[in-house]
Amino acid sequence: MKIKDFRRRFFSTKTSPETVATEGQPLLSSLQENIRKIKSDLGNSSDIIIQEVRIGKKADQALGILYTDGLVDKNVITDYIRASLLLDTRFNEADPSNTDTLDVAQVLQKFVTTIGDAQDIHTFDDLYNGLLSGDAIILFDGSTKAKAVSAQGWQNRGVTEPSAESVVRGPREAFTETLRTNTSLIRRKIKDPNLWMETKQIGRVTKTEVAFMYIKGIVNDKVVEEVRERLDRIDIDGILESGYIEEMIQDDVFTPFPTVYNSERPDVIAAELLEGKVAILVDGTPFVLVVPALFVSFLHAAEDYYHRADISSLIRILRYLGIFIALFGPSLYVAITTFHQEMLPTQLLVSLASQREGVPFPAFFEAIMMEVAFEILREAGLRMPRTIGPAVSIVGTLVIGQAAVEAGIISAAMVIVVSTTAISSFVFPSYSLANSIRILRFPFIILADTFGLFGVIVGTIATLLHLCSLRSFGVPYMSPFAPMILPDQKDAILRLPQWAMFSRPRLISQINVTRKQNVPPRKPEPRQ
Amino acid sequence: MIRNAALFFAVLTLLLFATGCWSRRELNDLAIVTGVAIDKIDNKYRVSVQVVDPGEAAGKKGSSGRSPVTLYDASGDTVFEVIRRMTTVTPRKLYFSHLRMFVLSEDLAREGIGKILDFFSRDHELRTDFYIVVSKGRAAKDIISILTPLEKNPSTKMFTSLEVSEKAWAPTVAIQLDELINDIVSEGKEPVLTGILIKGNPAIGKGKGNLETIDTPTNLQYGGIAVFKKDRMIGWLNEEESKGVSNLTNRLDSTVMEVACGNNGKLAVEVIRSNTKVKGKVKDGQPEIKVTIRTEANIGDVECQIDLMKSKTLYDLEIELEQKMKSDAERALSKAKKLKSDIFGFGEAIHRADPNYWQTVKKDWDKHFPSLPVRIKVDFKIRQLGTTGDSFQNKLKE
Repeated sequence: MKIKDFRRRFFSTKTSPETVATEGQPLLSSLQENIRKIKSDLGNSSDIIIQEVRIGKKADQALGILYTDGLVDKNVITDYIRASLLLDTRFNEADPSNTDTLDVAQVLQKFVTTIGDAQDIHTFDDLYNGLLSGDAIILFDGSTKAKAVSAQGWQNRGVTEPSAESVVRGPREAFTETLRTNTSLIRRKIKDPNLWMETKQIGRVTKTEVAFMYIKGIVNDKVVEEVRERLDRIDIDGILESGYIEEMIQDDVFTPFPTVYNSERPDVIAAELLEGKVAILVDGTPFVLVVPALFVSFLHAAEDYYHRADISSLIRILRYLGIFIALFGPSLYVAITTFHQEMLPTQLLVSLASQREGVPFPAFFEAIMMEVAFEILREAGLRMPRTIGPAVSIVGTLVIGQAAVEAGIISAAMVIVVSTTAISSFVFPSYSLANSIRILRFPFIILADTFGLFGVIVGTIATLLHLCSLRSFGVPYMSPFAPMILPDQKDAILRLPQWAMFSRPRLISQINVTRKQNVPPRKPEPRQ
Repeated sequence: MIRNAALFFAVLTLLLFATGCWSRRELNDLAIVTGVAIDKIDNKYRVSVQVVDPGEAAGKKGSSGRSPVTLYDASGDTVFEVIRRMTTVTPRKLYFSHLRMFVLSEDLAREGIGKILDFFSRDHELRTDFYIVVSKGRAAKDIISILTPLEKNPSTKMFTSLEVSEKAWAPTVAIQLDELINDIVSEGKEPVLTGILIKGNPAIGKGKGNLETIDTPTNLQYGGIAVFKKDRMIGWLNEEESKGVSNLTNRLDSTVMEVACGNNGKLAVEVIRSNTKVKGKVKDGQPEIKVTIRTEANIGDVECQIDLMKSKTLYDLEIELEQKMKSDAERALSKAKKLKSDIFGFGEAIHRADPNYWQTVKKDWDKHFPSLPVRIKVDFKIRQLGTTGDSFQNKLKE
């Protein structure tokens, strides 16, 4: 068969495959008609359960109960919906005012509405929407109105410890895949009527629930407006993780730096909300997005605020040192050993030179080789089945750490530099920033090999210029450094004591800046 | 935007391949020179360089029996030419940034060192933090041919040993290139350099045999100060005179001084702090120098019977030490006057005091200098007695 024919047969563009296109079609009044249409629309899918029940004194009222197996709590269906329908109609019988025929509208209004969260639906669109997100649908013969009863109850992963952002001291709960659980985790932290939430359905096929939360009165309304607008602009088949949303709403596409913050910790999200940021929760993922994001927040860990200010500040400085080593480690080594040997103390130079004796590759190639090997090991460690992990790490350490040096292919100093760099890149609380540094490390090595320190400095200036040009939802990415905002330095490189942090970040929440009265704790008076 | 990003990566790749090996040198392409010695033989410069063998000098694995340093030499009319000529012998290009020691032969020093210093101050590769010394009575090449124990690299040995002895022992001066050149061109100050000599048999010192015994047969030692006039060396100072130079030029940090005490015993003090102030004055057209030396010392070693508990004893000791210091200084001064070389920078002091007067004498300052009146005032203080008070020797009944 020629490829042309094959294509014609299987990917014919002329006859488009039939898809469910209900487009606001109203429900029909006949129960049988409705059920027939639903069955054909859903392709007789086996997990769609359709039960027909008759109620009323003479059992003359036909009802259809529809639900998706696995998405609903069966107890709710049997104990509440069916029981109450039957009970209510029996109760109805006893009612002296009752006439022979059952008034559908009355049943709808008076009785079924008592079952939890129930909504009226009129179209097939709404019906499918409810049915496929875990509602039980009750169809009435002879009515174009149906009821969607909330009966969700699917298998949940419980609230567990965060795996990407662990702490020594601090809450040990992380978001889960369920949107409702996640919003409740935030609500439990902020019990304020001003914590507002808006929900949207995004994804033409997946129809994923996306909620965004903010604290009215603290948040900058323009940012909320912007978030709403950007979310509305998304037109995509499916949203399977918050990363989809992140990529669709970020300000700048061509940057290695993340301009949307994410976290799986409710306490972090609550803190960000209190600073006046907007949190975007996506159903199906424990990672919650926060905008606007600043560069500094990627270097702040939740724990910074739970330990005392002095150690937190020191650890933050350590992290800035870490970013420096992770970004410049190999490039500085390459630049200094191939261009600026005069910068090294004589003893060190002789020692480095002795390690390089007999190494066949230029330092640049050595560095690239080691970095690539490390990245491969790291990726392998992430992807491989967990049971063969130890085997890979043994081979990795032996091959890279020892055998390569002993065989004289790599100098020992290079192994030290690359491993120090690797370890430094793990000090970032945020994985997304660690990734940016990972990407930038390679251009810096190339610059170092071409122009030496001059190249590294040029690269640094270019990176800084780029960073300063970035914005996240209108807020300068490098604030509070560029522009310099003195009051915000309290929580940038240093972390001042809680009693000194009396204002919210200036550029994020322009209204309602004061957090609290500035009262340093006082010693109790000595007792008489 | 996509265009920009593509352009960025294109440029980056281009940089990598198009610029290639632009002035880059791998560490194993370098011959690291740590010592240079220059002699003058038959009107030609003979430059010898001491190159580190990194594998041997820093290797942690057992020594393979090679020497940690190698020596290359060549002769020619200019220093630069000789250095380039050396590439015909050296396996790698010589790299001078880590030069530690620069040894000049006495003969060359007496002829004048100005010409050869130009290359070393002009070349961009050199840092100016190496020490310059004069080899006393021997070819400079011999000095850097000696293997030294403890420090595998002889130049490092010479460097650190000069650095330490300048701090803890008055009669050595550590001079670096820029200071030397400044002193040469300065009109009111003449340069000095420390001398270096070989103690023992040089023939043994050149071989591994020098390192194989506990009592090293051949060693390098600093001794004496070479006095220059402009760029020509004109004489040596002995140890006492060298001490005087340190005293008079504020180079003294710490040293040991000894005085006689009791009945033919000795007592040594450790100078812990010393400050020299030189003040020039021109009075009735006559220049005059006043030197004030303030020194503090601790008692370091008592080898006589003396009662340190009495303040009068200490007071007498202070006076005695003042005398001693003054006489050292005066001895150095009279030697310098004899050599007609103002190594103390008194001319500069006069210049600072009276620039107009200096204009009239600066041309023939070396004629005025020998008759320059210098008043030296020493203020010596003994601070502490160490961890014991009176010496236990006083309790010995003889």
